[in-house]
Amino acid sequence: MTSVARPITQIRPSAGWLDLDLGSLWRFRELLYYLVWREVKIRYKQAALGVAWAILQPLFTVLIFTAIFGIFARFPSDGLPYPVFALAAVLPWTYFAEALRRSATGLVTDADLVRKIYFPRIIIPVAGASSPLLDFAFGLIVLLGLMAWYGIVPGLSFLTLPLWLAETFGLALAIGLWLGPINVRYRDVMHTLPFVIQVWMFATPIVYPLSMIPEKWRTLYSLNPVVGIVEGFRWSLLGTGRPDLAAVGISLVVIVIALFGGVVYFRKMERSFADVI
Amino acid sequence: MSNDLAIQARGLGKRYLLGAAGDKHDTFRDLLVAGARSVLGRRNKKAHTEFWALRDASFDIRHGENVGIVGLNGAGKSTLLKILSRITDPTAGSARIDGRVGALLEVGTGFHGELTGRENVFLYGSILGMQKEEVRRKFDAIVEFSGIPQFIDTPVKRYSSGMYVRLAFSVAAHLEPDILLLDEVLAVGDLAFQRKCIEHAKELQKRDATILFVSHNMFSIKTMCERVIYIRKGQIMFDGPTDEGIEFYEKDCSLSTLGWVKTDQSEWPLTITGCELSDASGVAKTVFNFGESMKLRIKYQMRRPVDDPNFIVAFIRSDGVACCNFSSELDGVTLGRVSEDGVVELTCPPLKLVSEMYTISILVREKGFQQVLCGQMGGAFHVKDDLLNTHFGVFHESAAWKVQADGAVETIPARPRLIGA
Repeated sequence: MTSVARPITQIRPSAGWLDLDLGSLWRFRELLYYLVWREVKIRYKQAALGVAWAILQPLFTVLIFTAIFGIFARFPSDGLPYPVFALAAVLPWTYFAEALRRSATGLVTDADLVRKIYFPRIIIPVAGASSPLLDFAFGLIVLLGLMAWYGIVPGLSFLTLPLWLAETFGLALAIGLWLGPINVRYRDVMHTLPFVIQVWMFATPIVYPLSMIPEKWRTLYSLNPVVGIVEGFRWSLLGTGRPDLAAVGISLVVIVIALFGGVVYFRKMERSFADVI
Repeated sequence: MSNDLAIQARGLGKRYLLGAAGDKHDTFRDLLVAGARSVLGRRNKKAHTEFWALRDASFDIRHGENVGIVGLNGAGKSTLLKILSRITDPTAGSARIDGRVGALLEVGTGFHGELTGRENVFLYGSILGMQKEEVRRKFDAIVEFSGIPQFIDTPVKRYSSGMYVRLAFSVAAHLEPDILLLDEVLAVGDLAFQRKCIEHAKELQKRDATILFVSHNMFSIKTMCERVIYIRKGQIMFDGPTDEGIEFYEKDCSLSTLGWVKTDQSEWPLTITGCELSDASGVAKTVFNFGESMKLRIKYQMRRPVDDPNFIVAFIRSDGVACCNFSSELDGVTLGRVSEDGVVELTCPPLKLVSEMYTISILVREKGFQQVLCGQMGGAFHVKDDLLNTHFGVFHESAAWKVQADGAVETIPARPRLIGA
């Protein structure tokens, strides 16, 4: 047998704190692709309406929000038609909530894989945060259609959309990296998360505009990192408000630090996943 | 020199913490309770109990070598496999692995019911570490090997469990690793499929692949490997030729408590202290030929007198199938009031069980199959036969045949196979 260069693997107890080994993420990129692909496939496989649900879900949500908050409660909407105003925030929020939920609980959902197969565990939260992106893309088409209906044309700010999306991805993944290993030990995370996400949504300007928050509470309110993200999306899509560059910068720094810390923590904890899950 | 070594393990160890400290608290509430306890100083005595699932394992495995890793349940063989496949980290020691590792700890992990067979082939291939291109290239071969091409576009949830395993194994079999770690997964599917798998394993051997084959069954290992590593309680007890390993291993299949008899052993009125196996003439052995008679000598110790105890001896095949059962009461033997230690001897009729490993479980019940007084495992034995294995059923018996061909009737009396043929 002609000897092709064989990979050498060294196995030894826990490596150092800062051994992030992000290269393994690259080596296992195909597995990452397949895990995302699997999520996307099975999500709509058994549904008669299939992928149409990706469009119907945000539409129904906005319909309900419009009825309750737009028509009955008469929430202001920065001078925009309420459905457009709400959908522009519901979309990134839905993506964020789904990405957070999946990246935090994915390890337990795929416990069989963790127990029986070797692969860099970080692939699971990364796949979890990536797979709802497709739904976001479908939702975006709906939003653009709705905007066209109301005669709203996005401006140049639309080009910043990937930045906000990347920020959402980063934040969801960062929190997922912290919560995932905790969830492996304490399943309470799984049970608490839906509730936290629900409360979090009302602490974010989604059904109401940021202008409804009294000026003196704004700073405190903006400590919620999703506030800046949602406002960024609204600005990018609808041109409302103006992003506070300082706030954007701070949230970027915070997300990068949280992400880095999350990776370090996750790497530290992943060694025991197979033993405790 | 080290270039022809596929695996070099040096002092590998894996420690688990038992009790409060390392326990997994499935809910936060458990943690709070444990935390409160430790604050109040009512810490469990068990806290910080260490348990070494594997300790100080050192060995070298050359390229192209086939090695069996044998041990009873819980001996640490799976832990070793998990360390070598990098699923879990060792607590101590190190290992150097030269080559691409393929690990099959379970067939079909990662299969998804909603996806079709075709989709699962790609997903599972990727999970096992194959490149997409590689799976695409081997796809036709994989489907052909599985023998179920007509169902390849059917969702896997509609598969029978046999089809499911076949497809999964076909994918796994086409992984072409330099080092293959197998955990008792080769024994799947029906006879024809199993033959294919054995051929495939031989093919791998020809390709100079290194195979580590984990099993509790020394005999299935014997056909595959010339070398075994025998692990007991986390320690390597033996590393050498399979034949010598078998002897070592047989000695170890000693008495232990039956898992499902939950009661406290100290409450039993009697305990089994020994179980000796021998052939009809009394020569001690644990490997029997098909058709050979076996004698069991069960030593017991009494704590309290028992009236008419019913001794029950069952043979449990390695896959958990209870194959047969002997009972003193059913055979009309009345033991009367037993109050002193003694020996019960049982001579089995010629063993018609197929070639496999069987563990003996010994139960003592009250008269009339009432309450269990004692339940213990009494070691293991093997039945050896070149032909008769589990594909021939649980046991094999010869029958009388009659052939009716156009008028002439010929009766062929049963002719038992020669013992040990």
